[in-house]
Amino acid sequence: MSLRYLARRLMTAAITVFLIVVLNFVLFRMMPGSPERILLGRTPNVSGEVIQATRERWGLDKPLFPDQFVAYLASTVQGDLGFSFGGGSRGRPVTDVLLQRLGPTLLLFGLGEVLAIILGLALGAYSGWRRGGILDHVGNGLSLVLYSTPYFLLGMGLLIVFATGLGWFPTFGISTVGQSYAGPLDQLGDMAWHLALPLATVALGLVGQYSILMRSSIVETLSEDYVTTARAKGLTEGRVLRSHALPNALLPTVTLIAINLGYVVAGAITVEVVFNWPGLGTLTVNALSSRDYPVLQGVFLLLSVGVVLANLIADLMYGFLDPRVRT
Amino acid sequence: MRSPLARRVRTFLAAVVLLAPTLVMTGGVQAQDQLVLRVGTDQKLETLNPWQSITYADYEMFTIQYELLVSFDINLDPAPGFADSWSSSADAMTHTFHIREGMQWSDGEPATCEDARYTYQFVLDVLASDDGYVGSGYLEPYLSSAGLESVTCDDAGNLIATTSYPTTLLTQAYIPILPEHIWSQYSQQQISDPAADGFFANEPVVVGSGPYHAVEWSPGEFIRMERNPNYWGTPGVPDQIVYQTFESEDTMDQALRTGELDYVRGTGANQFDAMQSEPNIRTAEGYANGYTYLSFNTRAKEQGYRGSTSALRDEAFRDALGYAIDRQTLVDRVLNGHGVAGTTHVPPYHVNWHVEPDHPRTFDIDEANRRLDAAGYPRGDDGRRIDADGKPIVLRLTWPDSEDHAADAQFIQGWFDQIGIGVDAFVTEEGALLELLPGPEYDTGYHADWDFYMWGWGGDPDPNSLLGLFTTDQIPAAINDCFYSDSRYDTLNTLQQQATDVAQRKEYIDEMQQLFYDAACYHVLYYDSELHAMRTDKFTGWTNQPPESGVPLFGFGYPAYMLLTDANATPTAGPPEATPTAGATQGPQPTATPTPTDTGGGIDSSVLLIGAIVVIIVVGGGFLLLQRRGRVEEEE
Repeated sequence: MSLRYLARRLMTAAITVFLIVVLNFVLFRMMPGSPERILLGRTPNVSGEVIQATRERWGLDKPLFPDQFVAYLASTVQGDLGFSFGGGSRGRPVTDVLLQRLGPTLLLFGLGEVLAIILGLALGAYSGWRRGGILDHVGNGLSLVLYSTPYFLLGMGLLIVFATGLGWFPTFGISTVGQSYAGPLDQLGDMAWHLALPLATVALGLVGQYSILMRSSIVETLSEDYVTTARAKGLTEGRVLRSHALPNALLPTVTLIAINLGYVVAGAITVEVVFNWPGLGTLTVNALSSRDYPVLQGVFLLLSVGVVLANLIADLMYGFLDPRVRT
Repeated sequence: MRSPLARRVRTFLAAVVLLAPTLVMTGGVQAQDQLVLRVGTDQKLETLNPWQSITYADYEMFTIQYELLVSFDINLDPAPGFADSWSSSADAMTHTFHIREGMQWSDGEPATCEDARYTYQFVLDVLASDDGYVGSGYLEPYLSSAGLESVTCDDAGNLIATTSYPTTLLTQAYIPILPEHIWSQYSQQQISDPAADGFFANEPVVVGSGPYHAVEWSPGEFIRMERNPNYWGTPGVPDQIVYQTFESEDTMDQALRTGELDYVRGTGANQFDAMQSEPNIRTAEGYANGYTYLSFNTRAKEQGYRGSTSALRDEAFRDALGYAIDRQTLVDRVLNGHGVAGTTHVPPYHVNWHVEPDHPRTFDIDEANRRLDAAGYPRGDDGRRIDADGKPIVLRLTWPDSEDHAADAQFIQGWFDQIGIGVDAFVTEEGALLELLPGPEYDTGYHADWDFYMWGWGGDPDPNSLLGLFTTDQIPAAINDCFYSDSRYDTLNTLQQQATDVAQRKEYIDEMQQLFYDAACYHVLYYDSELHAMRTDKFTGWTNQPPESGVPLFGFGYPAYMLLTDANATPTAGPPEATPTAGATQGPQPTATPTPTDTGGGIDSSVLLIGAIVVIIVVGGGFLLLQRRGRVEEEE
């Protein structure tokens, strides 16, 4: 991969992130309601002087440009995203609030992606390879159903069957609060027990699209000359699939994986709300209902930067996987 | 030769198959070695700093951790709290509170009259400060409305409070008594302003005097409390209480069904009805200590005020509209019957104070039409009524996005259409609505640009706070949002605050309700019920506060917690510690320094982060390896 290619990609990403930071500033200043009214709410005993004092304390009395904008840029660069207005985190630095919720989301969606990728690609590759077979019909149908089922429906269904109905798994949370644990393994087991249903929801929700894409990629690849050549060379079917069809069929899948990684928070919202999973999704809903604009701004920034990074990774992976795009 | 990929897939599948039952079993064998009361709430657990409290959930958090000077019993009558007895002088202007002797804070420091004096003096200092409020500003009015002037401690350890007028309201003051040795380290600004340097969030372990104190807090998720080892009374049966907040009511209700929760606050009407027939679940429907209202911009089109029609200023017009609202239908159809049709602004929850108006507006479209005709609002050619300026009347109806009033709005739209009043209904973002409501007295740049809107108010054990919302001096504070101003009402409010005779006070409060009702500034739509549900197979002894019309938890004080019993205890099992009975005094105990225990349920987020990163690296690496292997094979 050439340095020029790498530099160009990094530069594009940096410019995009800067534009996002600017948009983040503008967007949240266009929100309805002035910040001091949101902060003070329907507080009794609040006079005009108190409102003015609050405006001064938060720097809202200064002009948006350049004063507030410069202060915002300087703080953002230093990792200071302000303080939470409410939603259970009132007065906490937004960075702390985001970091606290990032771990559970990454765990849930990281593992969910892994499971979905492995199962989806395997199912898709096999369906495509054995096109027209029973597994192809069943797998493709199932993939379509899963692909078109909203997360909350899938999650609520799993919850009602496996938690409320059979009682195998808990309905909410990441751990049993107040539980005494014999040791770290016991604690890890409790977490895994809580993780099972949300993880299954995420994995099942994602597996369909990977499977469908992989199947069509494989089918497309099978008609390529190099596959015919490989067969003509006398390679076994398995070898043709693994060494010739699969690597070429993986390219579009890498894009999809990268895009999905960027949309972790968007997907997280419904799954996390259904299972009360303490991640960025519940934080976003919480912040929305509390008009906690600083936290929403932080989530927006994190999400956007996540998408940019995921795309950057996809670009670099592409460069690695496909020599034609390296320059 | 077997392929490495196939081997990997097989290994993974085997691991999944083996892991699944293990997970199920792991969950199944969890030992509940401590008796934990698990409470789910739809309200967020916003804060552990009492001065920041706004919601019922916030109030519950400080109520159970800190004694009020005078608490509330299960009947909502005054009960021993930080003070074990109290009395007032003959003129009811000097009030003596005997502070219970031998009390300790949860950290072992003595809890004395000085702590009570510090807390009340803090409020007096706040009221005298430039800001005039602290935190959310919700607590100070309890003392300002009682006319508190000074607080001192006498040599016998009594708190002596003087008020500027005779009052009985000090026994209703919902002010938590705070430990001076903790809170005096912080300035008013550090307690009040989350953005201040050194803001005091009162993070666990909280030093309190109540039966439980917070030992763990995962913001936006849960607060875990343990027994206060130095609590003066009989310890509660639960070893711990975990308050868990939920974004989804459905998930919360399912968790009650599975036994993962023992109590839920704020369940939906449909789920509430469904749970009534379920085994081991008891439901409780209590009167709401509040109401949902329709407020009118009674200064529309005055100088500096906006609003679409001057008709809104006309009491006769607003009165007529009241006859076109079928409150009972709203209760039946919108609340599924879980509420009471509204009349006055003191809800029936206050059984001793609520009064029905002399001439209630009953639903009668013909009567509404007749009154509108008589008030001078004829119909135009298109059937719409015309205001004094000759314009068809089309009112804007809105409500904050934090509440769901779309169904109410649809009904009102339909009824008003029958009386020739157009209604343009839409939801408004709460922050934006708060911007729209105030008039120019609040601040320059405010114009009350609205017609009528729906929202709600909640009250205290005493109706004083609900009555005080509509005095003239609350207009500049943007609390009196319908701009109601009546000198007689203001006078009556002062009189009721100063009345020491209950019968006399009731007369004042009755008249206030009638005055406010007649002015048709608000139409109280309904008193929506509190819907709670609880399991009976783990804890028994659930008692409503008050017994005939309340719900067990999220009330006032903490009496219902102390009445809980272990449903599975053997008959001989008693409370875990030998203790004096409630109300008795207790001698000093050895100092106990609370330390975080190993029973926490929170998962270290850094561990999660590392785990997640490892997973991603492993997967990414795996893919790269596969790619490389494929290429190597190709080259071979």
